Amino acid sequence: MFSFLTLDFVKHFPVVAVMGLFLCAFLVEIFGSKNKIIRNTITLIAAFGAFALITALIKPVLIDGNILAYWMGNWEPVEGYAIGIGYEIDALNMFFALLVVTTILLAAIYSIKYMARDHHLGHYYTLFLMLSGSVLGLVLTGDIFNMFVMIEIMTFASVALTAFRNNKNGALEAGFKYLIVGSIGSSMTLAGIALLYAQCHTLNMAQISAALANGLTPTTVLAFALMFAGFGVKSYLVPFHAPAADAYMTAPTSISMVFSGMVNKAGVYGMIRLVYIIFRAMDLPALQLMLATFGTVTMFVGVTMALAQHDFKRLLAFHSISQIGYVITAIGLATVLGLEAGLFHAMNHTLFKGLLFLTAGAVLYATGTTDLDKLGGLAKKMPKTAICFLIGAFSISGLPPFNGFASKWMIYQATYQKAAETGNFAYAFVTIVALVVSVMTLASFIKVTQAVFFGQLPKHLEDTKEVPLSMRVPMWIMSALCILSGVFYGFVEKFLLAPAAKAVLSVTNYIDKMMGEGTAAAAGVVDYAANDVVLTLWNPVLWLVLFAIVLIAVCIVILTGDKTRGRVLAKTETDSEDGKYATFFGGEQSTHSHVAGSDLFWGFKHDFKGYFKFIQGMHSGVVNDYALYAVVGAALITVLMFVFVH
Amino acid sequence: MFKKIITKSMAKSPWIYHINTGSCNGCDIELVAVLTPRYDAERFGFKLAGTPRHADIVVVSGPITSQSKERLIRTLEQVPEPKCVVSIGSCPRSCNVFKGSYSVEGPLENYTHVDVSIAGCTPKPEAIIEGLAKAAEILAEKREAMYK
Amino acid sequence: METIVTILTNAWSVLVFPGLLFAVVVGLLLAGIDRKILARMQKRKGPPILQPTYDFFKLMGKETIIPHAANRKAFLIAPVLGFVSLVVLMLFIPVFGYSPFSTNGDLIIVLYLLTIPAVALIVGGSASGSPYAGIGISREMVTMMAYELPLVVVLLTVAKKVGGESLVFSLGEIGDWQAANGLLISHWALIPAAIAMLLVIPAEVGTQPFDVAEAETEICEGTLVEYSGAPLAVFKLNTAIKMFVMTSLFTVLFFGGIDTGYIALNAVILVAICSVLTVVCMTLAHAICARLKIEHLFKFYWTVVTALAAISLILVWLGL
Repeated sequence: MFSFLTLDFVKHFPVVAVMGLFLCAFLVEIFGSKNKIIRNTITLIAAFGAFALITALIKPVLIDGNILAYWMGNWEPVEGYAIGIGYEIDALNMFFALLVVTTILLAAIYSIKYMARDHHLGHYYTLFLMLSGSVLGLVLTGDIFNMFVMIEIMTFASVALTAFRNNKNGALEAGFKYLIVGSIGSSMTLAGIALLYAQCHTLNMAQISAALANGLTPTTVLAFALMFAGFGVKSYLVPFHAPAADAYMTAPTSISMVFSGMVNKAGVYGMIRLVYIIFRAMDLPALQLMLATFGTVTMFVGVTMALAQHDFKRLLAFHSISQIGYVITAIGLATVLGLEAGLFHAMNHTLFKGLLFLTAGAVLYATGTTDLDKLGGLAKKMPKTAICFLIGAFSISGLPPFNGFASKWMIYQATYQKAAETGNFAYAFVTIVALVVSVMTLASFIKVTQAVFFGQLPKHLEDTKEVPLSMRVPMWIMSALCILSGVFYGFVEKFLLAPAAKAVLSVTNYIDKMMGEGTAAAAGVVDYAANDVVLTLWNPVLWLVLFAIVLIAVCIVILTGDKTRGRVLAKTETDSEDGKYATFFGGEQSTHSHVAGSDLFWGFKHDFKGYFKFIQGMHSGVVNDYALYAVVGAALITVLMFVFVH
Repeated sequence: MFKKIITKSMAKSPWIYHINTGSCNGCDIELVAVLTPRYDAERFGFKLAGTPRHADIVVVSGPITSQSKERLIRTLEQVPEPKCVVSIGSCPRSCNVFKGSYSVEGPLENYTHVDVSIAGCTPKPEAIIEGLAKAAEILAEKREAMYK
Repeated sequence: METIVTILTNAWSVLVFPGLLFAVVVGLLLAGIDRKILARMQKRKGPPILQPTYDFFKLMGKETIIPHAANRKAFLIAPVLGFVSLVVLMLFIPVFGYSPFSTNGDLIIVLYLLTIPAVALIVGGSASGSPYAGIGISREMVTMMAYELPLVVVLLTVAKKVGGESLVFSLGEIGDWQAANGLLISHWALIPAAIAMLLVIPAEVGTQPFDVAEAETEICEGTLVEYSGAPLAVFKLNTAIKMFVMTSLFTVLFFGGIDTGYIALNAVILVAICSVLTVVCMTLAHAICARLKIEHLFKFYWTVVTALAAISLILVWLGL
């Protein structure tokens, strides 16, 4: 049926998808700034088009295992030197591109109703499509300078979108912080690229990788450190993470979802490309440990900051940071299982964090606030949103059988296995921290559950309504994906993760496909050792079946048993509303007395008050401090690189 | 079958919720004495519950004061059916020495049906145990009557 | 014919042994033993061993009140969810070599499945809309964070000890290893971990010194404040089953590998060991200690208990 999809034909798809998004960005501004219908149509066509074009590549790239090489303007390498911009789509690009297009599509659908109350929507959709196009371009390109250009577009679109609701308190400030720290990151990336270009005389990633095969010179180590820091900024690793919280909080929620769904995934993608392919340095134990350390610190700082938050979206933002910590840790292990775990968690993070941001957006849409201290009892008014939220919360906390459980488990297993193999106790410590962070994640989502969806409904929220269908549909899709990828993780592993991990590890393939057969061998590049993955995971289907059987048994007992047991008595006239069905208040008349989010976990915070004081003091909200952290972080990375890698 | 087991269990595991409606604390101490190792009411399955939702037997001590009246009625309503109300001491029966006080509203019977009334100022722990055991039997009867 | 036999044997294991019925009966039995021995320790006669069973059936016969402020569905589903996941959890814990549904990674499954009943309790409490329950869930969650760290360390210690270079997360293999190399409790390096695990059990179950989340005298039974009738009965049953699950997990980890060859005899031995463990780690602590404050509880677990577990972990990593 799809016989027309030959390799020669489909290799044009990626570039068309990227160009299409950019083109529609301008079309929206030109034709759609006044007319709602045109605007929405163009956006949806662009989003859906990108989605369709990328999903059409699943078969050739992921299943058949081809690598698509595309030279723009057909400028192929001359005498082994790449002179044009090349797109190279292997399974890794494909994996991230799929995440990106899914996020774009769902965010576009969600935006229609969610943003309908705002003004200047033409600008919004232009920026949204620019952001989408740049992130998609970033994960598809094979040219390092092209990648930088995309990072720049991404950063500036993000800044503008962060400050889009500039009538809201703090939006401009958040945009400003994002701008400063983001520019530091971009400049470092640019400096790194310049150094690399000076050394290798090329901008093509595959060719750089081949050129660096003979070992790193001090200049390239510096380039590595700078680019590492640059991508660290983009994926919000810990010293660079501070502006992310403000940006996620003040940006419109559809954009927060895009940020956590694909913008920081772009950072993760860049990181993987950088350490595995371009510098091919992941067989250095010191670098592995460095990545794992950065990841572990990130997950711990993120989750403890999340526990201290009072705002729904800000809390989610810190969780984004924390979950990226998991991803980076797993990727840093440089084992097949670790890579698969990291990629799986990156994918799951896109799904469940996107879902959680959408529910936060729904709450904001319905009530006008995301302050945890002002909400409560919304599950009665918005039951569907509440269910979606619970699915997302259980997924991110890693409760079985949701997807977070499967990927976190792979991470625990990978880290502990690494510890056993290398005999390095540090990795065992990482496992313990990862498990504890998971419980803390659960704790902070319990806080949100209690503060937003359960508990007592405040008076002023009594006429809250469920959000419209077009906002619920993306939530349902995300929820379904969360459950499916958790239950059938075997399929995900087989069709998405294994090819992607394999693509990361087989560097020679990547170089040969782009620069011609034999280039890698001539340059002396060798693949990473790829051991087989032994997934000693569980069988969620079996668990679900058992669960269902026991549940049915319990239901049968309930139904066939004595009908009079524990029945709910019909309300009689003597049962006053105030008395029997009111909340028990020690005999007092029940009043509104909601235990709000910020009051929870007192005992925990009390025991850690020193730590919390320190860490909250560090997140001062002053942009100078954040810029300082970024610079100090970059300096630290540089020093570490020179000490350990060189 | 379940009906029989439930009725039997109803008599064997009565949980008590204690309301002091203005007592002098004498009866309250005696009620606590009933649960101590010496009298050990737990051997009959008695247990103090922390909330009226868990309770089967509501034990009221003291005369009903104007402050406690509303709270008493509300709390009694919050106890799930079947339930028993037991009064301890003379005060809930007759207001005892507090009768005629400006703040005393009257005996317990005026506000609810009292199933067992244990007399005395204060009643001995043995008497309280007997009264509670009787209340437990009434509980089982009430359960049977409710779900015939 | 064969498929019918398989289906029947599987149904037998899910519904009777070691599943639903076995878990419920032994759980209630352990809870009864706990109350009886506690009474004997306080020189009382104590309630009959069947008292938890009576309590359960009595609560089943009571009216169920759903308060106005509560979220009806979550309020009613939560206890059943906790109950079912506990029963399923029981299927993954082998009874001395007999584990019909054992998989390669039971250890982490068990760790996570153990959180579901706690989460069910939290969701149920949260859905009841009472401020007492709000404080209860906060304490429940902090308790959970407190005991999870030492529990994780203990489990990883056992995995390392049994697996060596290749990791073993399977409870069945842990049992086999013990059958070959002697019980884990007899390896002196693991004794601190065993003590830590013994201290984790009462917090996980939520008995006296660590029952801050359900403190009936200060926050009116905390998370359970608005529950009455059948849902309350199920929650009480969950606590009883949790006693069995936790003690049998301990048995598998440290006394695994006792296999007499007869399943029935094995089950009896398991129940006997579980009863002794219940008395040692829950009843004794209940009789001796008063309830802790939540911040003391947290500190206790993250310092003393974690240190005990960590000593074992380090010793095991050193190859002892």
